Amino acid sequence: MFGGLARFVVRAVRAAARLTRAGRWVMLRVLINQIRFTALQAIGLVAFLAAILAFLVISQSIRQLGRFGAVDNLGTIMVVAVIRELGPLLTALIVVSRSGTAIAAEMATNRVMGEVTALEAMGIDPYIYLVLPRMLGAIVSVATLMVLFDATALVSGYVAAATSGMALSRYMAIVLKTLSAKDVWLTLVKGVFFGASVAIFCSYHGLAVKAGPTEIPQAVTRGVVATIVAIFVLSAVFVVIAT
Amino acid sequence: MTATRVSIVLGPGVAEIAGAPPLVYRDVDLLGRADRADRRFSLTIGPGEVVAAIGDEDSGIEQLGGLALGLEPPATGAVEAFGVPIALLPYYDLLAFRRRLGYLPTGDGLLQNLSLKDNVALPVRFATDHRLREVEARVAQLIDDFRLRSIQTLRPAQANEEDRRRAAMARAVALNPKLVVLELPFVGLTSRAATDLLDKVSRGDDGTRRAVLLTSRDLTPSVRGLVTRIVRVVDGAAAEDKSGGGRPEVRESGWR
Repeated sequence: MFGGLARFVVRAVRAAARLTRAGRWVMLRVLINQIRFTALQAIGLVAFLAAILAFLVISQSIRQLGRFGAVDNLGTIMVVAVIRELGPLLTALIVVSRSGTAIAAEMATNRVMGEVTALEAMGIDPYIYLVLPRMLGAIVSVATLMVLFDATALVSGYVAAATSGMALSRYMAIVLKTLSAKDVWLTLVKGVFFGASVAIFCSYHGLAVKAGPTEIPQAVTRGVVATIVAIFVLSAVFVVIAT
Repeated sequence: MTATRVSIVLGPGVAEIAGAPPLVYRDVDLLGRADRADRRFSLTIGPGEVVAAIGDEDSGIEQLGGLALGLEPPATGAVEAFGVPIALLPYYDLLAFRRRLGYLPTGDGLLQNLSLKDNVALPVRFATDHRLREVEARVAQLIDDFRLRSIQTLRPAQANEEDRRRAAMARAVALNPKLVVLELPFVGLTSRAATDLLDKVSRGDDGTRRAVLLTSRDLTPSVRGLVTRIVRVVDGAAAEDKSGGGRPEVRESGWR
């Protein structure tokens, strides 16, 4: 599988160099559509879950840390747990469940309906039309949604802290003490890798369908499971690299 | 109003061999019977010829399109398009070479998430390096030629069978190919629509005849009138149809 996956990624990247002038405009249109489905339509869900998660984590943390007089460690919990780890992970999982499934199902349907063969018969590389825009769209979307998740979590964390009587200035001071530029770029790098994983694994398994429509749900399952595993493994790799 | 016709310019690719016939099948096994050397398919289609290969479901005609486009390699023998053994080309050369061929797959092969217009535009947008304005002019020309103007915004599922076939045929000739391969193009169409479409597809942009290979279960008399030669495929092998086609002047052109 890994050899096939590596060839798949190389072909998708090589496809970018083969884009024609008019093809660039069409790809841009497909890309914008992909961002609309993946990012724009997920904003509400991502913001809602980020707010709930941060509120729960910070409310519980303040209560527990307060008992030991260690409220200043709230910033570490907010930055390390929510912003650095849970935020990217949860955002990627939301995108997999919403858009990864759609990408895998769409690719598998394209394959079953003979549309991939039709593209190849016209002399069009299916990676240019199908894979590349979804890959770029997923990368942009996941990175953007991660930033949104983190921003919402920070605001929601403050609301939770405020209900426990913490002033905004203190909350900001505690969080900013721990938050570094590394957290920002790490979030963006994770966005690129997690987004690419969503598109690559889901497209790969979608396009691997051969027999017929009954394989479509199986392809979706394989794509989603592989993406989730990849995202967790990548998270672990990032922890090792970042520390 | 007469608009200037847009000339399609294809990028560089594998050169076709000058003077080679548009399509040659040589001793091809259509039915996967390696042990039956007597059941091999051979056919040569010359420039401007419209050849119909007719046969039953188990005759092997379903394989002809895929073999011609290099979508599958022949198990035995060879298939050459313009002298090039197409299935042996490396993948990207193969993609570039296929732009010289028009293809209508069984069913129509239209992309369901695109409008009929966008389906027609697809090869011009992705397989040529024309400017957007030139692409749009070419697409408008095809839309008019195949009478798709009023339904161009419909998705394939919203259009009727004839309109879908019109769009698929417009897409097949979008790059003005010298050879067009049509798989079961007239299933579900009236005789009038079939004749009209075959007439359009068999003419190049400059009015000259294109080479066409079409597969079919049978042909109506009006379609036979546009066909140069009919080849009946039985059990994976070709036999010239006694009834022949309706354009003897081309049949006598020396191509067999």
